[in-house]
Amino acid sequence: MSGDVHVAIERDADIVTARQRGRELAREVGFSGTEQTLITLAISEIARNIVSYARRGGMTLTRVQDAGRSGISIVARDEGPGIPDIELAMRDGYSTGKSLGVGLPGSRRVVDEFVLTSTVGVGTTITMKKWLR
Amino acid sequence: MAVPILKQGDVLVASIQVALTDSDLVELRDRLAEQVGRHRSRGVILDVTVLDVLDSFAARTLRSIAQTARLRGAHTVVVGIQPEVAFGMVQLGLSLEDVSTALDLEEGLAHLRAVLERRGHHVR
Amino acid sequence: MQQGRSQALVHEMGLDEANIDRRMKAVGFEPSDLPNIEAIKDAVVAHVDDYNKTFFDHLSRLEEARPLLTSVALLDRAKQLKRAHIVAMVGGDYGLLYAEQRLELASLYAAAGLDTRAFLGAFHHLLKHIGVDLMKQPERASLERFESFMSLKKVAFFDIALIVDVLVFERERVIRQQQEAIRELSTPVLQVRNRMLLLPIIGIIDTLRARLITESLLSSVRQNRAKVVVMDVTGVATIDSKVANHILQTVTAARLMGAEVIVTGLSADVAQSLAAIGIDLSKLNTVGDLQGGMEEAEQILGYRVLQASAVAPTAPLAS
Repeated sequence: MSGDVHVAIERDADIVTARQRGRELAREVGFSGTEQTLITLAISEIARNIVSYARRGGMTLTRVQDAGRSGISIVARDEGPGIPDIELAMRDGYSTGKSLGVGLPGSRRVVDEFVLTSTVGVGTTITMKKWLR
Repeated sequence: MAVPILKQGDVLVASIQVALTDSDLVELRDRLAEQVGRHRSRGVILDVTVLDVLDSFAARTLRSIAQTARLRGAHTVVVGIQPEVAFGMVQLGLSLEDVSTALDLEEGLAHLRAVLERRGHHVR
Repeated sequence: MQQGRSQALVHEMGLDEANIDRRMKAVGFEPSDLPNIEAIKDAVVAHVDDYNKTFFDHLSRLEEARPLLTSVALLDRAKQLKRAHIVAMVGGDYGLLYAEQRLELASLYAAAGLDTRAFLGAFHHLLKHIGVDLMKQPERASLERFESFMSLKKVAFFDIALIVDVLVFERERVIRQQQEAIRELSTPVLQVRNRMLLLPIIGIIDTLRARLITESLLSSVRQNRAKVVVMDVTGVATIDSKVANHILQTVTAARLMGAEVIVTGLSADVAQSLAAIGIDLSKLNTVGDLQGGMEEAEQILGYRVLQASAVAPTAPLAS
């Protein structure tokens, strides 16, 4: 079983690295080509969020097992400004910065579990999980 | 990593070879805009066959390339979007709106030819 | 090969230390059971070959066990594994490795198609024999002997649960594969002309099915180099906002690959009621019926369809 994969997210090249690591792990866990792409997409959007708003942070990718299921867990942490209104940020089309505002809600749509916690002035943590069917 | 842009008569062909960072994409957009103007190109083909993912930033940049080219008189066709990539884009809620697409380079050129002939230009 | 199979099973069934702990808790196994088992270890190991024989003798009397008993190779391996099992049952170490070793025997049972009843009967028979022997031990008090046997029984029930789970899991695997096959059959993508696909959708479209339809359409577009797709939704049970969004997504995805999609079989009523709840189908290329849709697709591809009689009214039909 492979261990955790940690990727520091500071520059836009790190988004590409996170994507590639995520796809490799998703393939190892046994996800189909289509599901690998969905996982890669979610990672890309969340990593870009860090680069655009928080400037620095990190992402941890892990193979997970629970009650007979295998899956992948993606935890993204940053020490950025935080998100004041999470509900608003999760709404399709909402954006305060450069993205078109599909990043967060779109990512939530393509994974099975999505938890966002954020404290203004402290940072944001996003935990996503996707299970093998 | 700069994307090679080939000039074939009236058409510019940008064929992406490796995964691109956001700044690579922005650079591609700017270079294409400049070259469309310089060569007075009529068409632009963006070959994305090798890309295994197109996220919101990439989709937006492709749309903006097409828009900029249109303002300078060129029609853009994005070619080679793979099945998984297309599936991922719609699941995420992304689209290329009215940007033309084609299966591959060959189809893209045929499509451009048809569009330009309809407008009274003949592709050189 | 069986060993690799059991390692894969450990993964697929999600067996890990935590899961094993829960299973041990379920049968009420506690640290105090360990010395009870230790006390009978030597006695059980001394008679392991008798007990193993008992187990397989019982099976040989059962019609349901025939598939296992008629294959010499499988039977030999099963006997080896069962012997190891009996020794391990009194070994005092019931962790992940213990479980994995039991899985090998269980997947062998599954592969041989051993009936669950036959297995349970033989296992009970084996336990009864061990119990009877233990009760005959003269040097220990009868309560201690009984407690030892009850501790061993907890291990036995832990094993039974594991083995039955594997038998069920393997049976469900067949069902899963069949479901997969049915799903594929229910989303046929047909090539009706060069570079033209027909996608007739019948029944109910839910999120999962919509995904499968989209995935199979997209890979067919690439395989057949399709330029036009006629998607016929005449047979779709109800088209509500959710289903309409699924259709829109499928169309959008095919377009990204450069294929034009013509949707047929959307009634005017449905289109109007969708428009009323804010679903814009104006971007869809819709044609009333399948025939009209096919004609439009042929036009896009540059086909000109002429009736044979219009070309040569007096020519006899070739046979």
